[in-house]
Parts: sequence; C-alpha cells; structure tokens
Amino acid sequence: MNNKESQKVLERRDFFKKTAALSVTAIAGTSLVSSNARADDPAIINNVPWGQKWGDPVTKNRYGMPSKYEHNVLRRNTKLLASGNFRASIAVAPIQESMGIITPNGLFFSRCHGGVAQIDPNEYRLMIHGLVEKPIVLTLEQLKRYPSVTRTHFIECPANGGQEWRGPQFNSVQFAKGFMSSAEWTGVYIKTILEDLGLKPEAQWMLAEGSDNSEMGRTVPVDKVLDDAMIVWGQNGEALRPEQGYPVRLLLPGWEGNLCVKWLKRLEFATEPWYCKEETSKYTDLKPTGKAIQHFYANEVNSTVTSPSPEIDWTHLKDGDIVEIEGLAWSGMGTITGVDLSFDGGRNYVKANLKGLVLPKSWTRWSYIHTYKKGEVLQLTSRAMDDAGYIQPTIDQEVSVMGVEAVYHRNAVETWEVNAKGEVNHVQIRS
Amino acid sequence: MFKLDRKLIITASAAAAVALFTLGCNGGETGTTASTKVNGKATIDGGVTYPVVNGKTGPYYVNPQVAQVAPKLYNGRVPTANELKAWDKDIMPDGTGLPEGSGSVEDGEEVYDAKCVMCHGDFGSGGGGYPALSKGNAYDLQKTLTNNRWKDPDADGPTRVFGSYWPQVSTLFWYIKDGMPHPFSKSLTDDEVYALVAYVLNINEMEIDGEEVDDEYVLDREKFLKIKMPNRDGFEPNIAGPGALDRVRAYYADAKNFGGQNLHQGAERCMTNCQKETAKTKRINGGITNFLPPMSDVRDLPAVKEVKVDPVAVYKSTCAMCHDSYLAPGSAEWSGYLAEGMDTVYAKGIKGTEGGMPAKGGTDLSDANFKTVVDYITSGKVK
Ligand code: HEC
Ligand code: HEC
Repeated sequence: MNNKESQKVLERRDFFKKTAALSVTAIAGTSLVSSNARADDPAIINNVPWGQKWGDPVTKNRYGMPSKYEHNVLRRNTKLLASGNFRASIAVAPIQESMGIITPNGLFFSRCHGGVAQIDPNEYRLMIHGLVEKPIVLTLEQLKRYPSVTRTHFIECPANGGQEWRGPQFNSVQFAKGFMSSAEWTGVYIKTILEDLGLKPEAQWMLAEGSDNSEMGRTVPVDKVLDDAMIVWGQNGEALRPEQGYPVRLLLPGWEGNLCVKWLKRLEFATEPWYCKEETSKYTDLKPTGKAIQHFYANEVNSTVTSPSPEIDWTHLKDGDIVEIEGLAWSGMGTITGVDLSFDGGRNYVKANLKGLVLPKSWTRWSYIHTYKKGEVLQLTSRAMDDAGYIQPTIDQEVSVMGVEAVYHRNAVETWEVNAKGEVNHVQIRS
Repeated sequence: MFKLDRKLIITASAAAAVALFTLGCNGGETGTTASTKVNGKATIDGGVTYPVVNGKTGPYYVNPQVAQVAPKLYNGRVPTANELKAWDKDIMPDGTGLPEGSGSVEDGEEVYDAKCVMCHGDFGSGGGGYPALSKGNAYDLQKTLTNNRWKDPDADGPTRVFGSYWPQVSTLFWYIKDGMPHPFSKSLTDDEVYALVAYVLNINEMEIDGEEVDDEYVLDREKFLKIKMPNRDGFEPNIAGPGALDRVRAYYADAKNFGGQNLHQGAERCMTNCQKETAKTKRINGGITNFLPPMSDVRDLPAVKEVKVDPVAVYKSTCAMCHDSYLAPGSAEWSGYLAEGMDTVYAKGIKGTEGGMPAKGGTDLSDANFKTVVDYITSGKVK
C-alpha cells in the first residue's frame, strides 16, 4: 500500500492484527482466548449507524454504483503514458483489487489512439466487403440478430510490462501488469456471418477499421477470422462500455488488445496485408538483429502474483500467520495448464494450485498457502504454462533472443521481493 | 489449404468442418481438447485452437442449429457504390486507394506550421508525449536499429521514426489523411496530404528514385509510388505476396523466433537451480511513480464537495409521502415543534424521533442540505 495513508488506517489494521492473531492461536488450540484481556470492539458493542436508520430506497440508484468506500479502486494513468492530452493514452486496471477472473466494466483498462469515441447506436453501421461474394451493411439491430455466443476472454495490451525490458520501473502491480482486463463477451463469430457472405478463395487478410477519430485499423489473417474471431456488443452482461468500443468491437481471443479494434466500422478482405500505423510504426518488436517482428499476434503465456504485491503488502502479518499467496495466469495461445511458484526469485520452484474455472485464453486464478515467518525475505516469482506447450521464460532467456528494445510482448517471469518488514517491492532477477 | 477453407465457409456443414481439424491432445492438467493444427497446417499464431468436439469448443457448448442456418443468414443489405467509396479509403503499398494529387515541400511546411507544429515540434522533432516525425537522415538512422541496450544500458538505443523504421510510405499518407491533425482528423485535402508527405520526406532527408527531396521538390502520385523506405526489409516474418500465411505459420511454429520457451520444442520445466549463475537482483532505480490518482487502498469516505439540493424536489420525492398528510410545508401544525427552537427541530430531524420521523427522513443528505429541506418544510418557503 502506498505508504501509511493515515493514523486511522493503522489503528484499524492494529485491530485486525489482533483478531487475526487471535483466530490463528485459536486454531492452534492454545487458550489465549480466555487469558487475553482485550478491549471490546465498539463495532460490535454499539449500535452501528446503518443498523438503526433507514437505508436508501430501492429507487435511489437506477444504475448501481460501488460503495462510496471503494473510491480508491480506480483505473490509473501515468504522465509517461499520456500522449495527446490523454487521447492517445492508457488507463490501467487495478488488478491488485481484482477478484476471480472478471473485471468489472467500470475498471476495465482503457486504451485509445484518438480519444474514447461516443457513438450514437442509431447511427452505427458495420460494413463487410472486399473479397466476399456478397458484401453487407448492417445496423446494430441487424447485427445483433445473428445467433450469439458468449465467451470469457482477457484482453491485454501487448505493452503490458513493456516499460521494464531494461529493468524494473513500476513499483506497482497495477502499472506493471494492469494493461489488461477480462470479461465475458457476447457477440457473433465472424465465420457465422461469412457462411452466407461467402469468402473468396484468394482472400488472405482482413482489415478491421474503427470509426473513431484515429480510424484505428489492423490487418488480421483469415486463419483467425475462420477460427474464433468475434464481433462483440456485450461485456459482462450489458452493452460494451464506450471505453471498450461501444457499441461494437472486434474480439480476437488471446491476441493483442490493439488488434481487437474498437468502435468497429469496417471489415475488408484482400489478398495483401495493409500496413496500418499500429502494425508498422508501433506494435512491432525490434530484435538485436535489427529486424523487427511484425504481426506478432498472440499474447504469450504469462502470470503474476497479485497478493502480496507492492500495493498489498505483508506489514500487518505476524509470525506464524497463514496467508494465501494469490495470482493470475493467462495465455493468448491456449489454456493454462499449471503455475509454479518460487520463493527465491525463480531459482527453485514448487507447484502452485489452480483455482476456479480454467478457460481457454482466459485469466486463470492460482494460489499457494504459506505460513509467514516474521522477518523472512522472499522473492516471489510465478511461472505459468499453457496447453500449447509454452512456459514463461526467465528474463535472461527472453532477453537473449529479444534484446531489450522490443517494447511489446514481454512475458518473462516477474518477481516481488518481500523484505524483512513485510514491504513488497518490484525487482528483477537477471544477468 | 484454401480450398479446404472455402469449403468450410461456403459449403461444409459444421460436422464436416470438425472432421477437417487434426486433433492433438495436449490437455495437460486441465484436460481440454486442443489442437496445434488446422487442416493439417500449423496454427497462425503458434497457439492452439479448440475444434468443436461432441458439441463443444473447449468448455463451451455450441448450438448445432446455428451451422445449419448460417448459410441462409443475411441480415443486412448490399452497400451502394457511393457508400463503398465513402468508407473504403484505405491506401495500400501498391497504390490501391492512393488518390491523384500533388504538393510541394514548401506548401507542406506551411501546412505543417499551421496545423502540426504545436504538437510535433519544429521540423518534426516531437517531444512532450508527441511522436517525432524525424530525427535526421533516414538512411543513417536506419543503421541504428541494431543498437540494443541489453549489454550496456548507457549505449545509444535504436531510433525508430518514420524515416528510419517504417516499412511503407503508404502508411504515412493514409494515417495523415485519416487520423491527423489529431484533434480534427479527416480535414485535409489530398493535395495538402501530398504536401505534408513531401515535407516529412524532406525533414527525413530522403530521396525518391535517386533524387533528393529538397526544398523545391513537388510530390505527386507517380513519384509517391517510387518511394522506397530504407527499412522496408526490416520486418519478419515476410507478409507480402503469395505464401505469406504459410510463412507466418512457420515463423510462429518455432518458439525460438520470438523468444518463447516451448515444452514441446525442447524447453524444460525446471524446478531447481533455474537461474543463471550470473543472475542478480536488480532493483528499481528511480522508476516511474507519478500515478494519477496516487496509489491508495484506503477504504474511507471520499472527500467530496456536496452539491446543493433543491429542497422542494427532495420534499416531493422523499418527505411528501408522510408529510403531505401531517406537518405539511408551512402548515400550522408546525408551531408546537418550532416552539422548541430551530436547533432542536434540526437535531431531531437529523437523528429521527420515536414518533415516526426517520433519521434525515430516510435520506443520506449532508446536515447542511437536510437543514435546507427542514427550512422549507417548516416554513413552506425556500430561503
Ligand atoms: C493536438 C496534437 C497533434 C496535432 C495538431 C497533430 N498531431 Fe500527429 N500525432 C499526435 C499524437 C498524439 C500522435 C500519436 C497517436 C497515437 O499514439 O496513436 C500523433 C501521430 C502522428 C504520426 C505518427 C507518428 C509515428 O511515428 O507513429 C504522424 C505521421 C502524424 N501524427 C502527423 C501529423 C501531421 C502531418 C499533423 C498536421 C496535419 C499532425 N500530426 C498534427 C498529435 C498531434
Ligand atoms: C416515514 C414518514 C416520514 C418521512 C418519509 C419523513 N418524515 Fe418527517 N416526520 C414524520 C413524523 C411522523 C414526524 C412527527 C414525529 C414526532 O412528532 O415525533 C416527523 C417530524 C419531522 C420533523 C420535526 C422533528 C421534531 O421533532 O422537531 C422534521 C423537521 C421533519 N419531520 C422533517 C422531514 C423531512 C425534511 C423529511 C424529508 C427529507 C421528512 N421529515 C420525511 C414522518 C416522516
């Protein structure tokens, strides 16, 4: 946590420490419970204000909002990534506060190249043309009449972690790994629409273009279009948020967030690729050979510890406390098959445990139960694997091929160092 | 491959499509049915796909009726020729979509100084979060692309700007036409874009067909199509021309090409002694800390400036249901209460009374706001 906000918080923490210590010893069977003369908790002894007066009427929030007390759970920016007056910029998701494998829509990371467009759905049109037998224009209502599918997938900006090729920069999991979020998306497979439009045999590439101010476009190979590419309008059970491309975006499960073109207006098929700005000037990975990888589609297997993290430290833990080390694993190339955890910066690993639903190209939760020794110094490093066979590289392994100038697609293992006080800092273990 | 794909799209039923997939079982601990091949070819991204098996793709059920009706689903209409012309404005390297027109370096500089310089700086130098459009001679700077600070952090890095890095000039025309100037895009004429492109080539010290793009240069469509970018061969895999998709598939089938480690390609799941001897702990040196808003996980009430409420509106929406019949705004029934003094009336209203008045009338108004409603309800007037 960002250092010691207020005395009040410390006092509250003290209180929780006491209760935590109490429950641990109770489990251990000692009789501290009776011998320890403690003050009664006023939160139990006194009537609480909300228990004695009317709550809000159900008519108050026609669209519900989080508790006022959650006001620090926010997307955040940094000036470093603030091009164009925050119109060619990114706001990152507070993944340290994230639960399960879904990001609430209001916290979903937001990246744009010409500002967040506000589209009138009545004026929305989607055009599909080029090398198809029958081109088509669809209104939003017509698009949504296609039979829908619903899928849970993360979307990740390939620059997630990209500021840290040459060394750790962000003492924060929100900034070091929060260029991504996850949602349950509803839309139609493009292959379903193409069944009738009829793709011509010579079509190899599809241009996807947004209708925003930057007219953001990307070239997609037809392989993906005919596999799991979707045109989506639903996000976690409601319409897409403007920040995610309302009313319609492209979703290429597992692939660079930038390829999942928002505010989608046009799909064109052709024999040759397009060379858009975001697949030449940017989103290309320069290697030490002087050649850059272009069309680097999939976000590779990756993982991070989310708790503890620089934001969620262990300063409040007592010797012997049992604590859950928790994290996320994800792969744009397939399904997570396992996660290993290291306490010494990736020198030695034990197997961690997957939790909950394990879905293709989706965030996957994992955890490991640890008994904390006061004063111990740990270097927590997680390492994920997927069913395509990929396992996260060490920093040295990745850098030996990619150098340190690639910007995008950095998926080497990441390390949080827990110091003797229980504070957590971002470090890297590398030559 | 393409014949098969077309079958998949035009004629094949879903059942036939499934048969086209080569099933490989890499299920691992989670037991999904994944395949690294489609129609006998490697996947395009080096990952796996989940063909429909027993009515499911991976963990998801698929409605089998959809495949049957899909060939008959055409929910929209055919675009008109003018609609296609209005939207199909992309520009490709071979000149597809590139309009006729011309513009000089001189005119380009004028437009640049009027519409671009405030963000992109003098001579495209960039800065302050705005990309540079030039850093000097494109041919010289292209040679810096092998600079890599992996061994020496203090060495010079590579310079990636339009002239030194971009593979195609068509991108520049297209992007300026569609996306610039940033706050008011799609406002430049084709001639202005030709002039701006000429100017950007000029400040990158580039040449066309052996001729320097000097201050007198006039660019047109024909000359544009002769531009060769210094770094046009600087990208892999090669995506141009026939066989491109096969080359992409082959590239991503080999983890070594992109720094990946694949257990099916000889990588190891190392459990002990997995770091190099030389690996040390590297800590943040300075780092980036200017987070907006500042990082915090405190759960308290936010400091907000409360907006003043309209007492009559609050009365109507929340007090009226009880007070219309008793103690209505300005009614004589208030006299007994008011005799105790206004402070008591406020206090009791805030706390609520056993006689049936809920605390603050059931609202979460601030004391100050609530008092304005009390003023209204007791007097019948808005102060
Ligand atoms: C209000 C500021 C602003 C103005 C004015 C502006 N631009 Fe830009 N320009 C930007 C931003 C911001 C970006 C980066 C956009 C992104 O990240 O997607 C950009 C990107 C570019 C790029 C791509 C650079 C690269 O290397 O990727 C070019 C080329 C460009 N602008 C040309 C122009 C031209 C020509 C004009 C004048 C007609 C212009 N710009 C006016 C803000 C501006
Ligand atoms: C559920 C019904 C109810 C609602 C809703 C309600 N009141 Fe009352 N209010 C009462 C009753 C009943 C009394 C008389 C209580 C008593 O005599 O103890 C009262 C008394 C009061 C008093 C006098 C308190 C005192 O004893 O001096 C004030 C002031 C008052 N209401 C203001 C409001 C305002 C302002 C609202 C709307 C924001 C409101 N009330 C909403 C039922 C209600």
